[in-house]
Amino acid sequence: MAGSSMKDIKLRIKSVESTMQITKAMQLVATSKLRRAKERMESSKPYAAISREAVQAAVARCEDGNAPFLAVRPLKRRLYIIIAGERGLAGGYNNNVFKAVAAHVDGTEYCVLPLGRKAVDKYHRMGIELLSDRYMRVEGVSVGESYRIAQMVIAGYQEEKYDEVWLAGTSFRSMMSQEVVLEQLLPLVRPEETGEKRSPSTLYEMDAAETLQRIVPDFLAGRIYGALCDAFISEVSARRMAMDSASKNAEAMISELTLRYNRARQGAITQEITEIVAGAEQ
Amino acid sequence: MALFHLQIVTPDRMVFDGQAESVLLRTVNGDVCILARHIDYAAPLGIGVARVTDENGKTRAAACSGGLLSVANGEVRVIATTFEWEDEIDLERAIRAQQAAEKRLQEMQEDDAQYEIAEAKLKRALIRQQVKG
Repeated sequence: MAGSSMKDIKLRIKSVESTMQITKAMQLVATSKLRRAKERMESSKPYAAISREAVQAAVARCEDGNAPFLAVRPLKRRLYIIIAGERGLAGGYNNNVFKAVAAHVDGTEYCVLPLGRKAVDKYHRMGIELLSDRYMRVEGVSVGESYRIAQMVIAGYQEEKYDEVWLAGTSFRSMMSQEVVLEQLLPLVRPEETGEKRSPSTLYEMDAAETLQRIVPDFLAGRIYGALCDAFISEVSARRMAMDSASKNAEAMISELTLRYNRARQGAITQEITEIVAGAEQ
Repeated sequence: MALFHLQIVTPDRMVFDGQAESVLLRTVNGDVCILARHIDYAAPLGIGVARVTDENGKTRAAACSGGLLSVANGEVRVIATTFEWEDEIDLERAIRAQQAAEKRLQEMQEDDAQYEIAEAKLKRALIRQQVKG
């Protein structure tokens, strides 16, 4: 009996080892992608902060509540732009986003613009209307592509296919933690009246409403680009963490199995000796 | 000359962050040149050549399109869609883009939804060549 169980254990060790090779390799890939992803994320940060401020200044100045992108229409339907990963094996990365959206929907009718293969697959399976199923990639999406996405979103908004646009993605806090974010993009949200930062003497080349109409498509594209960079680094660091703990798990399993294997081997030897000794005494 | 703090950003990077003497930009209503102590100001940007004179008095040209120029409390910000210095422009690519855009425009009707986009593409390609040439 000892022989066959030894063989079993050996086979298990082999299979765990080969799994560990995969998780180790994925961890390495994630680590090597991390640096570039981080650079991209960091160089997209200034635009996000500065453009948000500029849009808010224009919004605060715009008194016309019916200006395009500001007018609140009765909510019949929402559009969710949902950013998920290209692959799984990243811990709860993909699911966390889907769960947050599901909780937010709360019975409202909605359609989805999925970005990233996992999001496309998920909402396709659910049978929800997709604005487009072409955006499988998240890694290295260019500014130009973000523009085409923004243009598509705005065209649908102007045709009143949906009355609110929300962006769901993941924001990078640190290597250890990533946070799901849900943000309303359209109509523009009026910032809380702070009363201090407004400078009424600003000279506008065009009136604020017209300025908004011109700049919102550009800023939306920038926002989508920033969110994609943020989501990608979150995905990579989530995967690195998941693969790291998987590799550690595999290592623990291997050492435990090796211990069992050695015990079984020793048991077999002891038994053999006992048998030989017993034979010699007769 | 008096200097002011200028920041130029595009979605993918901070292009310029430092002291400058002047910045010339094409807004939707024509060229505007900002000097130090300008009044608070905001204007959407068109597609055109930009010129930045830095603190050493050196002027650089760039192809700039889309976004917003904003001056607030002496801080000047160019929040552009694209902003490429002359030495970053790929001339061959701009020429190819021009030819492709011209071909598309010929095939299209003027009321085509894509017409404006193709027209903007052509304009950007021409501006890039102008900055380079």
